[in-house]
Amino acid sequence: MNSHDLLPVHTGTVIEDDSLTLEQLCHACGVHADWVISLVEESIIEPEGDDIHLWRFSGTCLVRVRSALRLQHDLGVNLAGIALALDLMEELENLRTQLKIMGHD
Amino acid sequence: MQYKDYYKIMGLSRNSTQDEVKRAYRKLARKYHPDVSKEKDAEAKFKELGEAYEVLQDPEKRAAYDKLGTKWKAGEDFRPPPNWDEGFEFKGGGFTGGDAGAFSDFFEQLFGRAGSRPTDRGPHGFHVRGQDSHAKIYIDLEDSIHGSTRNISLSTPEMDVQGYVKVKHRSLNIKIPKGIKPGQHIRLAGQGDPGSGGGKAGDLLLEIAFNSHPLYRVSETDIYLELPVTPWEAALGAKIKVPTPEGSVDLKIPPNSRQGSKLRLKGRGLPAKTQGDFFVVLQIALPPANTERAKAVYQKMQQELDFNPRLSLGVKSL
Repeated sequence: MNSHDLLPVHTGTVIEDDSLTLEQLCHACGVHADWVISLVEESIIEPEGDDIHLWRFSGTCLVRVRSALRLQHDLGVNLAGIALALDLMEELENLRTQLKIMGHD
Repeated sequence: MQYKDYYKIMGLSRNSTQDEVKRAYRKLARKYHPDVSKEKDAEAKFKELGEAYEVLQDPEKRAAYDKLGTKWKAGEDFRPPPNWDEGFEFKGGGFTGGDAGAFSDFFEQLFGRAGSRPTDRGPHGFHVRGQDSHAKIYIDLEDSIHGSTRNISLSTPEMDVQGYVKVKHRSLNIKIPKGIKPGQHIRLAGQGDPGSGGGKAGDLLLEIAFNSHPLYRVSETDIYLELPVTPWEAALGAKIKVPTPEGSVDLKIPPNSRQGSKLRLKGRGLPAKTQGDFFVVLQIALPPANTERAKAVYQKMQQELDFNPRLSLGVKSL
């Protein structure tokens, strides 16, 4: 018997698209709400919902906020620069996926 | 313990100015930043760079480091000379807040442990909920198709009671829910950093990525298969058996299909909330003209078919 079989199995919850509240997002990334709001104002992340109390974020936002944090912390990039870098990185990622699908990887 | 040549890591000479140190850091940090870089071992290089910069950007640490002299070679076994740090006061302070838990033994021997600042952990006497922690895990396509249980190992830097940073390894069995797609997260409540002052532990957030598959590629909830077909199957149409993750299906290729045509099998992608589709991308394979008979067939096509794929190039064919 594999030793892994002895460990309990953890069942988590899937973070569905557009389900994270502002508070959950802040806590998950260890950042202040003010900073997340400034990311929304810069269109770096786009929540569903019109009012700040109704904002709901996706898992993609989670990844973007964490990347934004690293870019600011490690490279000193400002918000406009972060927005540009993340968009370009996403485009690059999409192109790489396309290339893979076309079998040119 | 190995000696580290911080100047070499940053590509600088010993008489570089503080401005040059800063510029070199910015440039290399962009090159090796794990979010940006596709270089192999970018993460390790980025950490090494952060450590070098931590020392060289601070005139005091730099002066102390310089005092070790130039006779050391990178990787050489190193013991600090006695009283080498006389007159310097930097232990336990003046850190930039970089990823200090990841600094090398060499750094810690010289400058102490950056982690030994319990005040970082929030004010005493409060119930502070532990931080959420993050990890990326790689699963197979089949795990999402059928749902499964995966064993993952995680290493987390943790501070012990003395305030030393130690890397703790642990292993978890995790249920992978059916239909999960790349980029989605699973939240494991209470599996993150422990809280302080009796506060609740944080959560562990697992970002899902897929291992590359020998047959299929996944994009969002859709699955792609490249399907080799013969020229006559593509030209005349055919019924072909194709593999899908849930068993083979009969696929009808319409006549006059072209190279790269995409055929959709609705609802045969990932079993997510919004069910994905399965796409077949046709790849026309040419039979080799390696026998007399095969050559004869090609020659017949040449004579019988009025086919010029270069019409749009604007050059007259011979």
